[in-house]
Amino acid sequence: MSTSHAKDSSFLGGRIPPEIESMSKNLKDVDQEMFRKILKAVVSAMEGKDCREVMKSIAESSTIPQERLSYIVAGMYRVLSEAIRIPTLKQEAFKEDLRELRVPEDFITDFSSVVFGSRRAALEAATSQRDPHLPSVEDFKWRVDVAISTSSLARSLQPSVLMQMKLSDGSFHRFEVPVSKFQDLRYNVALILKEMNDLEKRSILQIQD
Amino acid sequence: MADAEATKALSGLLNGIAQKVYYNNSDITEELLNTELFPELTRDQFTALHDKMRGLLKSIATADMDHAQLEAFLTAQTKRQGGGGVTAEQAAALSRFWKSHRARVRESLLAQSRWEPGFRGLSWRVDLQTGASRGDAVHSGPVALMELELGRAGEDSEFVCLEFDEAKVNQVLKKMADIQQSIDSIVQRT
Repeated sequence: MSTSHAKDSSFLGGRIPPEIESMSKNLKDVDQEMFRKILKAVVSAMEGKDCREVMKSIAESSTIPQERLSYIVAGMYRVLSEAIRIPTLKQEAFKEDLRELRVPEDFITDFSSVVFGSRRAALEAATSQRDPHLPSVEDFKWRVDVAISTSSLARSLQPSVLMQMKLSDGSFHRFEVPVSKFQDLRYNVALILKEMNDLEKRSILQIQD
Repeated sequence: MADAEATKALSGLLNGIAQKVYYNNSDITEELLNTELFPELTRDQFTALHDKMRGLLKSIATADMDHAQLEAFLTAQTKRQGGGGVTAEQAAALSRFWKSHRARVRESLLAQSRWEPGFRGLSWRVDLQTGASRGDAVHSGPVALMELELGRAGEDSEFVCLEFDEAKVNQVLKKMADIQQSIDSIVQRT
């Protein structure tokens, strides 16, 4: 490991991931046009698009053996996802780290334009979609009923709320909320919103380290 | 003294019936009530008394009688001479019992006609996502995590965990205001 970088560790961490190491070895005689084609496919894969067809046509049209090609794809993916992870990563440091891995300078420029260019926001959004999430509510329907008369009670005249939620994991939940509980629920939801608003105002986000 | 004992036994019987019929307490059996409260009655005699009281309670509960209705009902029953009539002590016991149990019995009867799981409670938490395995989340806003407790009567609760961003919470709150409006319009009319 180079001593000049003792102060600033690589964005790849202390040990260079094996797929990145083999990528740099396999990139040697790849021309820039091919490199850009592959890079474009990897980026759209990271954005969640289906790139199987594109990859197939690259593999068919290229003279690079399949095995080497897969090392390159895997390494690119890793370089980009590691770099996107770190919001504070400086462009110069990123370039320097790649230079140390003997990635050709033209390719470094292309990598850098993906990580620090206009695509970044889209890539961040796409990757954060893959963070662990609880299901969210996709659809929320309700109905207010008044039971007039039931098998057990001649005149019940009791309002109640029927709620139905469709969640992002595809499940449905239907449940009845008595009026007294409904007040409770509404109060709590209002409280949550207030907490969230307060949080943004106080910008607690700027936690000092 | 004997009167006081009889009144106590009658109240006990009404409470026992309510436990069994309305509060789902299966520990109380007809046999237990017989031996504990009316040991001097034979099984047949007791069954007759028990069934009469249960029938009267059912009529009172189904109609959800208020005080005036109950008095009128009991007066009519005491005047009915012969087999089906109610004694003055029984009428007094029923009246006392109903005064203290009306709300609870009504709640239990309402629950009998509720088939969807009911909403039991909500726990929540507001988080800030600060980092993740892929992609950084410093720019994303607060996240509300909610746990809804749902369950059918007599069954264990089921928990549903959900995630909301601020816009979603706002949306839900707006719907709740609509619901409230809808409830208010009904409650005012009735």
